[in-house]
Amino acid sequence: MSHFLDRLAFFKRYVEPFAGGHGSVTNEPRGWEDAYRQRWAHDKIVRSTHGVNCTGSCSWKIYVKGGVVTWETQQTDYPRTRPGLPNHEPRGCGRGATYSWYLYSANRLKHPMMRKRLLRLWREAKAQHPDPVRAWESIQADPAKRREYQKVRGMGGFVRVSWEEAEELIAAANVYTAKTHGPDRIIGFSPIPAMSMVSYAAGSRYLSLIGGVCMSFYDWYCDLPPSSPQTWGEQTDVPESADWYNAGFLMMWGSNVPQTRTPDAHFMTEARYHGAKTVVVTPDYSEASKFADLWLHPKQGTDAALALAMGHVILKEWHLAGRSSYFEDYCRRYTDMPMLVLLEPRDGVQVMGRQLRAADLPDALGETNNSEWKTVAVDDATGRLYCPTGSIGFRWGEQGKWNLEGRDSRTLEVTTPRLTLLGNGGETAEVAFPYFGGRAPEFFNPSRHDEVLVRRVPAMRVRLKDGSARLVATVYDLFVANYGVERGFGDCAANYDEDRPYTPAWAEKVCGVPRAHIVATAREFAANADRTQGKSMVILGAAVNHWYHGDMIYRGIINLLVMCGCIGQSGGGWAHYVGQEKLRPQTGWVPLAFATDWHRPPRQMNSTSFWYAHTDQWRYEKLRVEELLSPTAPQPLKGALIDFNVRAERMGWLPSAPQLQANPLRIAELAKAAGEAPAAFVARALGDGTLRMSCEDPDHPANWPRNLFVWRSNLLGSSGKGHEYFLKHLLGTVHGVQGKDLGEQGGVKPEEVVWRDPAPEGKLDLLVTLDFRMSTTCMYSDVVLPTATWYEKHDLNTSDMHPFIHPLSAAVDPAWEARTDWAIFKGIARRFSELCVGHLGVETDVVLAPLMHDTPQELAQNAVRDWKRGECEPVPGKTMPAVVAIERDYPRTYARFTALGPLMDKVGNGGKGIAWKTEHEVEFLAQLNGTTVVPGVEGRRPKIETDIDAAEVILALAPETNGHVAVKAWAALSQNTGRDHTHLAKGKEHEAIRFRDVQAQPRKIISSPTWSGVESEEVCYNAGYTNVHELIPWRTLSGRQQLYQDHPWMLAFGEQLCVYKPPVDLKAHQAMVGRVPNGNKELVLNFITPHQKWGIHSTYSDNLIMLTLNRGGPVAWISEADAARAGIEDNDWIEAFNLNGALTARAVVSQRVPEGMILMYHAQEKIVNTPGSEVMKTRGGIHNSVTRAVLKPTHMIGGYAQLSYGFNYHGTIGTNRDEFVVVRKMAKVDWMDEPAASDQAAPAVAAE
Amino acid sequence: MRRSLRALAALLAYPTAELQQALPEVRAALAADATLAPAMPALDRLLAELGAGDLLDLQEAYVALFDRTRGLCLNLFEHVHGDSRERGPAMVELAGIYAAAGLAPAAGELPDYLPMLLEFAAVAPERGADLLANAAPLLDLLHRRLLARGSAYAAVLHAALLVAGAEPGTAPLADAPEATPEELDAAYAEAPVVFGPDADPAAECGGVALAAKLRAARRNPAPPMPSRRPVIRHVTTAPSGG
Repeated sequence: MSHFLDRLAFFKRYVEPFAGGHGSVTNEPRGWEDAYRQRWAHDKIVRSTHGVNCTGSCSWKIYVKGGVVTWETQQTDYPRTRPGLPNHEPRGCGRGATYSWYLYSANRLKHPMMRKRLLRLWREAKAQHPDPVRAWESIQADPAKRREYQKVRGMGGFVRVSWEEAEELIAAANVYTAKTHGPDRIIGFSPIPAMSMVSYAAGSRYLSLIGGVCMSFYDWYCDLPPSSPQTWGEQTDVPESADWYNAGFLMMWGSNVPQTRTPDAHFMTEARYHGAKTVVVTPDYSEASKFADLWLHPKQGTDAALALAMGHVILKEWHLAGRSSYFEDYCRRYTDMPMLVLLEPRDGVQVMGRQLRAADLPDALGETNNSEWKTVAVDDATGRLYCPTGSIGFRWGEQGKWNLEGRDSRTLEVTTPRLTLLGNGGETAEVAFPYFGGRAPEFFNPSRHDEVLVRRVPAMRVRLKDGSARLVATVYDLFVANYGVERGFGDCAANYDEDRPYTPAWAEKVCGVPRAHIVATAREFAANADRTQGKSMVILGAAVNHWYHGDMIYRGIINLLVMCGCIGQSGGGWAHYVGQEKLRPQTGWVPLAFATDWHRPPRQMNSTSFWYAHTDQWRYEKLRVEELLSPTAPQPLKGALIDFNVRAERMGWLPSAPQLQANPLRIAELAKAAGEAPAAFVARALGDGTLRMSCEDPDHPANWPRNLFVWRSNLLGSSGKGHEYFLKHLLGTVHGVQGKDLGEQGGVKPEEVVWRDPAPEGKLDLLVTLDFRMSTTCMYSDVVLPTATWYEKHDLNTSDMHPFIHPLSAAVDPAWEARTDWAIFKGIARRFSELCVGHLGVETDVVLAPLMHDTPQELAQNAVRDWKRGECEPVPGKTMPAVVAIERDYPRTYARFTALGPLMDKVGNGGKGIAWKTEHEVEFLAQLNGTTVVPGVEGRRPKIETDIDAAEVILALAPETNGHVAVKAWAALSQNTGRDHTHLAKGKEHEAIRFRDVQAQPRKIISSPTWSGVESEEVCYNAGYTNVHELIPWRTLSGRQQLYQDHPWMLAFGEQLCVYKPPVDLKAHQAMVGRVPNGNKELVLNFITPHQKWGIHSTYSDNLIMLTLNRGGPVAWISEADAARAGIEDNDWIEAFNLNGALTARAVVSQRVPEGMILMYHAQEKIVNTPGSEVMKTRGGIHNSVTRAVLKPTHMIGGYAQLSYGFNYHGTIGTNRDEFVVVRKMAKVDWMDEPAASDQAAPAVAAE
Repeated sequence: MRRSLRALAALLAYPTAELQQALPEVRAALAADATLAPAMPALDRLLAELGAGDLLDLQEAYVALFDRTRGLCLNLFEHVHGDSRERGPAMVELAGIYAAAGLAPAAGELPDYLPMLLEFAAVAPERGADLLANAAPLLDLLHRRLLARGSAYAAVLHAALLVAGAEPGTAPLADAPEATPEELDAAYAEAPVVFGPDADPAAECGGVALAAKLRAARRNPAPPMPSRRPVIRHVTTAPSGG
């Protein structure tokens, strides 16, 4: 029978099996699919990033649904790199990803808040004084009222206030302070503008308009490597992470890339696949060690010994053996090695003096301009002396010869300088080299050798202008002798196995790294650099930089890179990323941030010196200058460390804040009355002592900082070295300082500073903090303002790790009552402008400014002369700070805040020693942002109303984001160098990046002379590239990489060349051993504070994910051996303490940690799970409760070429790794969660 | 409008002078609601405290209690989702429920703010009571934590529990015992996502997800330590019933 009729002809059945019966179509409901679609549906995706102070700068997609951020994912649309180079993605780490959950967390700050006691006083005062400024005055004039709220700082007690009330109190306090004490008593601290530059600019613009002080951060965080300005005249410039891939030999030295540079770590992995050999140097078995082909683990703090021994090997086997023409040629052209150094006879030998200058010679080698700032070399062909072009004397006062073409400046012939005077028929000199290794404190291996090592150095005699004949040597010859490399004179080690500085055997003894490893690493490092022309790279970081003598460790490493020709070569060089968040459009940002469109100069202060003075840490100083001075010091320098800082401020080397013991708004009247110009008046009055600088009497109430703004920062919970001193002296609240000051213990007091007893407690009238979370700093504040977070505001973000600029975008409105930083400071500016009427009008503010780097002032002081001691006259801008009278229109502060000022068209813009005009950009901004009328100013000005307006100002004015400006900037530099550099930006001349562009996709920036690398399709960004390839001088004395530091203070401290200096003894632990026993055994351990894994960089670690992944509270790591000795088991509560204070934490006992060290991750706050301290009798502190800042005099030098001040460029640094603590198991864990009996006994911070 | 719930919302919000003045009105509204009778003595203590106290002191105590103490956060999802990815979508859903009733959050507070939920229940009694019933475990948790602190604010939670039809516990919640590692692991374990017919739309994202989440919280109440993430993705094929 046929099935013909059974078969359908025109249909097939819907439900029939397919794939041989493996699949079937069903018609069950598909509602579940809708549910799934809904789950992942969203209204929009917005590009933003996490503006923590992390260099990540990672692009993220923020998903928004119904006005709520629902989730986030990594963006993957970075512009491609070029063929042969891995791409950037994926960027962004899991820690950052937890942020969108923090947005709505209970930890968020929701409302403006004020300390209740202050609010009550305020409302009472307001009831009596309708004028808010008078009301504030009535509180400040009454010491009892002031103390009433100061002494409960940190103890809770907040109430919500309206924005209006908060703004009014803050503005009134600012007006009162400016009027009564001076605007330079209003201080602002905010770090790392690169992470959210508009938010930074909001506060700094307000402060700069009213004459307040913006505080530095990079140096305070101790992330600034002073060796960089010393060597290169450059704050810090580094390769982008992609350039790691081009390296052939990579060292990771005290830098934990996978942990702290997570989004970039893939380049490290890829570099290894690409064949790079990797050596990792960390004392502990850190995460970075997993990348290592060879892991070296020197004793912490002794890394300079390792670097010096490697240098010893390289100098011997490559340089002296003449094995690399590349190295030799590089050193001749790009370093000061051929420059001559004057030797000074002393005690029968010679000591190294300053570099010979043209001015020292009879005819000044024909130089008439700045001849005392032009270094001298020997022509290798003829043996005559000549002045190579490019030294800093050529930078100012003339044009066209500031370049590295290597010409004799007189003949303009390209001339080969002589590296060594050996074997040229010259003589030799017996030169004294200082040796500091024997000064190692307890727990570090001392290596006993003479304090003065006399070595024979090739030399020649030169007749000077004064007729004397003096011995000179090249830097090269001194450099080699300093490394103790034998040159046939028989006064150095015969081989690597001899224990003499700085052989591998010597280093093995000092740092513990086997000599064979040192020799092998050095050989491979140099061999690779020779074969690849400089593709050996060192990634170095906090672990080696945070030491008191960290600059010596860094210089040891830099020397390796320089002697092997690695700096300025793609795939080579130094890569320092800690805290180095490159604000790429910097020159466009400066006018906005420091209101230089209205007034110049702004007040800026180096934080380390400021906090050291104003938190009275100097009163407890135990480190004496005698312990630091070199046995070869030409003249004895005396005094306490703060004395050196005072001298530096007086001579204009470092800035001051406050500046004078007088209100700077009153100086102009006094000058007028005396019939003098303000600058002349200040100089005379300082000279005759009728006027004093504030730094000479920091404890005098007239010199206290009065108002402090903290924003984008957790000053008191994270970076504040000497935390307990902040609490005691600056804030005047419960503290845990254990030591006595120099007065109480009969120590040697400073010479230059007035000693006051009793020490002031509670200098600060008002502490205002803006944050999105209740940080430790907020806890101690009087007013807390809730800010918008990274998905709630428009801003810009850049990094040193990659060349892109990208935005923070307002995906949603700020939650609760939060406002953007821009809106907050705009609001305060508006209120200030209203309230100041009747108190402040148009005022003349006399501003003191230090001698600035990248200006002619960097040639101010060829010798150290202190006018206070009568060694010279006080001359503003020359022998003392510059004095500038600025007219401020206080009632127009708001109008000026919201408009681009006229100095942009009148004076123009610039940076790093070059200037250009900006009328065109101002006109463009007027069209883009619209215009407004500012009373008292002609015409209409471009508006800066919103945060996007502010971003556009940055983008329009910066060469990095505006091709026209880039070409102008390069053209301006070309004038100086006499070489045409405009080709570096010509191709991008018509490119202009707008805010909406970067929201669409991260944009690569344009090459600019602000930076020393280039953005190109051929090479990765790498520091020093334009110096080497465009022959632009480094901004140093010789114009070359300055390996020899010849300032008199450098000579005094024996740091002409890199030497090994062991950690210093801060003497903070000895007195506490056994002083407050609890029955448990005490250990003495070195206190190390690296960046952590379980935190959102150093910004916060109090989210549940981080707390849960770690141990839910503060932890500190110790070794198994130490733990066993003290009977500590893993997870036990331990206390670490010394004279500075105490902290409590759980012990992590790990084989990772070497003996003798306690390692506590940075920025674990005391607001979560922190029990009371048995030592302090208050709640356990933060990691900085056991530290105290200590200044190093060589970081104070100023007015001297590359050693001149620049904001965050140069200055004292907040070191903290030399500290030792007493550690023991706690006997009783007291959570202090019972109600306190009285104010005195109250816990400093209520943990929850 | 069920004014008693509006009154509870006002009591649990930040104390203001306006609230102090309106206390008699508030009390009248509370007293008129028979459901709340068992809570009235406690509510009277709170009213007396609010009426007699210095406003700044009351505000300080409020901030310390509710703004600064995570365990007493009045944003309910803090106790359900903590810092986790589910929190955003959960708020979107809740806002959707409000929107269905023609209401939108106005005062700069997030949808899961308990006083807002109480106000919603005042305006939309049926749906609101339903939500409160679902939230009962959380209300109970907050209630007992407030009792442990001896705070008069416990009264509002007590009353809310009555509205939710739940039996208010009386035992103060002392510190929870430390969770064992196994418990912590279990709390953080995520169930696998299931596709296809076996998937549970309600648990994934349906309109009833909130109820499911709150039930999950009830099964695993009183977040001991790190407040746990409820298992919201059912893997069973059992009807969700929500």
